[in-house]
Amino acid sequence: MARMKFLADAERCIECNGCVTACKQEHEIPWGVNRRRVVTLNDGMPGEKSISVACMHCSDAPCMAVCPVDVFYKTSEGIVLHDKDLCIGCGYCFYACPFGAPQFPQDGAFGLRGKMDKCTFCAGGPEPDFSAAEFKKYGRNRIAEGKLPACAERCATKALLGGDGDVIADIYRRRVTTRGRGSEVWGWGTAYGKPEKQPAAPPPGGKS
Amino acid sequence: MRKLLLVAAAAVVPLVAAGCGEKPTVTVYKQGQYQGKPDMQPWDNEQFKGDKVAWEKAVKARTLGQNEYERVVAH
Amino acid sequence: MHDNLALRWVMRLSIALVTVLLPQFALGTEDLAKQQAARQITQPLNNAPMWREVRKGENPYQTTQVRGVETNILIQTEGQIWREIRNGPVTIYGGWLLVLVVVALGIFYWWRGRIMLKQPPTGRLVQRFTPWERLVHWGTAISFVVLAITGLTTLFGKYVLLPVFGYTLFSWLATLSKTLHNFVGPLFAVCAIIMFFTFVRDNIWQRGDLQWILSAGGLFTGRHVPSWRFNIAEKFWFWLGVTFLGVAVSATGFILDFSNFGQGRLLMQLSNVVHAVGALLFIALAFGHIYLGTIGMEGAYESMRNGHVDEAWVKEHHEYWYNEVASQSRTAGGVPSTAPASAMKEGWKT
Repeated sequence: MARMKFLADAERCIECNGCVTACKQEHEIPWGVNRRRVVTLNDGMPGEKSISVACMHCSDAPCMAVCPVDVFYKTSEGIVLHDKDLCIGCGYCFYACPFGAPQFPQDGAFGLRGKMDKCTFCAGGPEPDFSAAEFKKYGRNRIAEGKLPACAERCATKALLGGDGDVIADIYRRRVTTRGRGSEVWGWGTAYGKPEKQPAAPPPGGKS
Repeated sequence: MRKLLLVAAAAVVPLVAAGCGEKPTVTVYKQGQYQGKPDMQPWDNEQFKGDKVAWEKAVKARTLGQNEYERVVAH
Repeated sequence: MHDNLALRWVMRLSIALVTVLLPQFALGTEDLAKQQAARQITQPLNNAPMWREVRKGENPYQTTQVRGVETNILIQTEGQIWREIRNGPVTIYGGWLLVLVVVALGIFYWWRGRIMLKQPPTGRLVQRFTPWERLVHWGTAISFVVLAITGLTTLFGKYVLLPVFGYTLFSWLATLSKTLHNFVGPLFAVCAIIMFFTFVRDNIWQRGDLQWILSAGGLFTGRHVPSWRFNIAEKFWFWLGVTFLGVAVSATGFILDFSNFGQGRLLMQLSNVVHAVGALLFIALAFGHIYLGTIGMEGAYESMRNGHVDEAWVKEHHEYWYNEVASQSRTAGGVPSTAPASAMKEGWKT
């Protein structure tokens, strides 16, 4: 079974914000909510680097652990999804997330934040696949269409890779050996460093 | 009154004790539900009609398509 | 498993301390940025200073197109520490603390029973709390109970209520809890402040208090120990509970409740831990206060419900204050009470 991951190549990212635009356009995300953003390090200095960041779909996701109503769930591809109908808007996932992924449509007084919104790895949510309700709440479900996240697929320089962790790691490895530098895979230690917790006993004879 | 209190305390102890300990965030797939939450698998729709292998092939092709070295050489 | 957890927690805390303290001694972020610029010339392929910088979080040269709080921060590791502390010791020890307090009170009640008056009531009433004092007390008390129940739902509901109610029903409950908590919170803060000024006069250290401490108020022996209007246990509850924990919980509560002022995540995480620990201690103390104020002691609830108590009760529990009242130098409200026994029932109106 594929384990879906994002990989951001700081050597290739040119800070075009194409991924941010692709994400906003694909899911028709309202103003003020940014499922993906590009952060530039040492902006304007020699050796400046940019990295595109969104929910990394962590192995041991802190958001899942702290959610007081347990809205999160993980698909069998390792994608962290959430149920907006259950979300109470407490903001705990935002405190816990290392990547600042959870977004809230409001920032009102008395903790009125609205329902949390975040990157779904273009896998929708608990609503039926391709339904209007799913699109309205979570955006397009490209994974169910056999596609990959819009941001990664539309990255012009292929700085942002998405998909099965083993496959994109292979692609990246080949890239690093070809160019001979920039082997740091940003964020993987934090997101995927902890061992993946799998069901205790997989059914015998099942596909891996 | 005293008995009632003891019974109430005895009832509360295991309930509250059940809260002592972190629930592991484990991926459990059972009966089309993830961790007790209803959702479909990505291949359970009109497009793939439950064909998991076809879905995996489609996604794998897309993932490999991100390797521009392969794209230049092979095709 | 538990030792392991405690050890891990201590480790996490030390890491947190080191991450907070180390930048004070190590290179500033500007130096690191300059170092990276220099490294580009000597070793064009080495990005080590930059990655070190990312780990540290704050960087003046880190930018993004996205507007918002801390959007230019790529990674924040404090969230994981907060998660370990909140889901670990705060939940585990906090939960057990409340269980232990309830059990201890149950055992105490079973062993000691309701503390009854030794003397028969005289029928003469003394005003113990003025209507204003009762209004302030019940305003604080009711808002406290609402906050305690809704707060405990947020911390323990996932483990205790969710398996019982199921996802949908518990989500409604949690939404109601969160909304109530966020709106009643400021009301409690205001009530607690008023309460401080209302009761502080009688909660200062007085002669004879030491003796009360040494004999633990006769709580276990049943011996008679004189005290002023408030004994040391009540004064302790006033200073540690209402004042110290009240301020700690209210201040952190405001930080968490009004996130629209753009405060960062580290402040929110610290506030949340202080808020949770403070509130759990507050609730544990409140259990004791509520126990003695209701089933634990005869006449205690009536004194706050009606404002009047029997002379025998005052003599038995607050003898110094009784002498003061008897000599009519001053009473609770500053006016000597001449209320008849029937005022017990009418007390609410006075």
